[in-house]
Amino acid sequence: MNNKVLVIDDNENNLTLEKDLLEVAGFIVFEAGNASSGIAIAMREKPDIIIMDVRLPDMRGSEAAKILRQNKSTCDIPIIFVTASVLSEGREEIQDITNSGFIGKPINTRTFVEEIRHFI
Amino acid sequence: MLVKPKKIQSHAYAESIINTIREPLLALDQDLRVVSVSRSFYDFFKVKPEDTIGQLIYDLGNKQWNIPKLRELLETILPLQATFDNYEVEHDFATIGRRTMLLNARQTQGELCKEQIILLAIEDITERKEIELGLEKARKDLEVAKLSEDEARDYAESIINTIREPLLVLDQDLRVVSVSRSFYDFFKVKPEETVGQLIYDLGNKQWDIPKLRELLETILPLQATFDNYEVEHDFATIGRHTMLLNARQIQRAFGKERIILLAIEDITERKEIELGLEKARTDLEVAKLSEDEAREYSESIINTIREPLLALDQDLRVVTVSRSFYDFFKVKPEETIGQLIYDLGNKQWNIPKLRELLETILPLQATFDNYEVEHDFATIGRRTMLLNARQIQRAFGKERIILLAIEDITERKEIELGLEKAHEELGELAAELKRAAQVKSEFLANMSHELRTPLNSINGFSEVLYDETFGPLNAKQKQYVNNVLTSGKHLLLLINQILDMAKLEAEKMRLSLSKLPVKSLLFEFSSLVADMVSKKQLQFSLEIAEDLPDIEADELKIKEILYNLLSNAVKFTPEGGQIGLRAQKIVSGIEIVVWDSGIGIAPENMEKIFEGFFRVDTPYSRVTEGTGLGLPLARKLVELHGGKLTVESAGLNKGTLVRFTLPVNSIGVMRDEQ
Repeated sequence: MNNKVLVIDDNENNLTLEKDLLEVAGFIVFEAGNASSGIAIAMREKPDIIIMDVRLPDMRGSEAAKILRQNKSTCDIPIIFVTASVLSEGREEIQDITNSGFIGKPINTRTFVEEIRHFI
Repeated sequence: MLVKPKKIQSHAYAESIINTIREPLLALDQDLRVVSVSRSFYDFFKVKPEDTIGQLIYDLGNKQWNIPKLRELLETILPLQATFDNYEVEHDFATIGRRTMLLNARQTQGELCKEQIILLAIEDITERKEIELGLEKARKDLEVAKLSEDEARDYAESIINTIREPLLVLDQDLRVVSVSRSFYDFFKVKPEETVGQLIYDLGNKQWDIPKLRELLETILPLQATFDNYEVEHDFATIGRHTMLLNARQIQRAFGKERIILLAIEDITERKEIELGLEKARTDLEVAKLSEDEAREYSESIINTIREPLLALDQDLRVVTVSRSFYDFFKVKPEETIGQLIYDLGNKQWNIPKLRELLETILPLQATFDNYEVEHDFATIGRRTMLLNARQIQRAFGKERIILLAIEDITERKEIELGLEKAHEELGELAAELKRAAQVKSEFLANMSHELRTPLNSINGFSEVLYDETFGPLNAKQKQYVNNVLTSGKHLLLLINQILDMAKLEAEKMRLSLSKLPVKSLLFEFSSLVADMVSKKQLQFSLEIAEDLPDIEADELKIKEILYNLLSNAVKFTPEGGQIGLRAQKIVSGIEIVVWDSGIGIAPENMEKIFEGFFRVDTPYSRVTEGTGLGLPLARKLVELHGGKLTVESAGLNKGTLVRFTLPVNSIGVMRDEQ
């Protein structure tokens, strides 16, 4: 059974790259360009893992994560944050979120899938 | 002549006696006729034998012997007494003048006959009488003299007692005969301790002064007098005094005693006064000299100093002016000296504030300092002057002198204003810089974020393409996509290093410390560089000390340091060269050395290599890719751990050695929050 993965990123190129890498590796990929549609998809599809940019157009990735954690259907889904941020903001805000991980940008296309799989 | 032989015999004897004695002697018969006469008689009375023998005594020498008293003696007294002694007869003798004669007579009975013979001795006692009278007179005179001596002594003593100067009278044994009252007062001695005492023993032997001994015992006996002999001595009773001694040795008229009069004058005070006077005179001369000197000195000062200086009298008229005053205010001496200060140079000094200073403030305070006056001067334009004044009371005379120093602080004020302005600007600039630094690090953070996002796509897609995940590429395509990927990765490295540098400079880099097993880390790391090393056919040597301890450090940062240094070593060492890594324990922690046999560093570039973006222009600089940030970044990271990084090179093409230390426990314990 193929794992379902939700990728939330407002950068279409990144979204495409991550989606392609995951699909090649056999994942069923759902895409979202912002937090609210991502949350909606997550509640509907209940993915095995969520890959989310820290900075999203409608809200912070951490805020979206809190919403997901408060919802019974999504509270257990591992969340991997992908960020290009070099400042402290990226880390601090995701520290308290349970069952979450961190991948820095730019991603290593050769190890990306393995890193994701590690969290499932 | 006598007739009878016996008589003759007896006469002869008498004659010899008569002729031997010095006194005139007459032998008379009973008729008072001269029988015989002594030779001295003839001499004395200047008569001849033929005029004498057989003559009546009274007829002798022109009847000069017809003296009533003699007649009385011979005719009245002698027949009764047969003798008379020491009968004095004063008489005017014709031949010898007025004489006093002492007559002694004896009436003798001749043995053989009954005739009487009278022997009459005549002694001329005129001189003896005179002598006796003289003696008598002398005796009287002596008595008078004795009286006068007593009087004189009294008089002298009264003098002695009246005069203020202590006076001593000494006998020839230098014992005190008499002393003036002032002596007692002065030397605080009592009469009973003084009179009869040896002078040297007076008042606890305080007079036993070698110089006095010399005077009294040596000089005085030779000269009988000495004048104004100064003796300085510590007297027991009166302290150190200077005495002026005058002495006279007097020979007493009768008797052999000498008397010494010793006058003692205490000239201590006089000496002191004299010395004081002398000193005062000298001081005065010195003072006059120093006054002259001081005047000269102050004038030379006045003329030497750059600041215009005015000396004013109490009427505020110019007494003297420094040369610089003339130069500065463009005035001439003839327009200045004697002028009222306000009238100087076309009344340009008639400044209300100056009037206030000189007329109101100075008389009250005698001095004012740093009074600023801004004024439009006719000759030199608007100026700001700093006035300093001193009012000096002249030592002699009642005049005041006012010294007025004028400093043109126009330029200084401008400079000060300029400086103040510059200071303000500098402050603003510093704030600006701080803001700029803040902006820079924020900008860099944002930029790196914004740059990484597209790089994520560039690197990601080209990597996927290169890996031919979605189908094969031809050789050309693969080469090109590899070029894109390599450039993208270099760009990413640049961005990361610039960001690290910015964070270090902004002191925002935090270390994430953990216990680090350095030995295993180094072994692990050397296997990673083995690939780079073999590509360039370099010889790599690894020396890790057995006792190398674990340290507390940020693992990622240590790896970054090692990577930067080793990649530099590889980059700057030609093929076939040698590189090496050496690690050992030191007192404070560990020391790691990364060395190579590469191109080295010229001494002049030793400092530049830490500036960042510095790439030595060598043939390698084109083929070697990098940012030039590796070494400065490594140093900053080492320092952040509390260690030190140094670079050594013997010169160009002589290899490079980078040595860095890390403490066992790092000081930076903050966590890196990236």
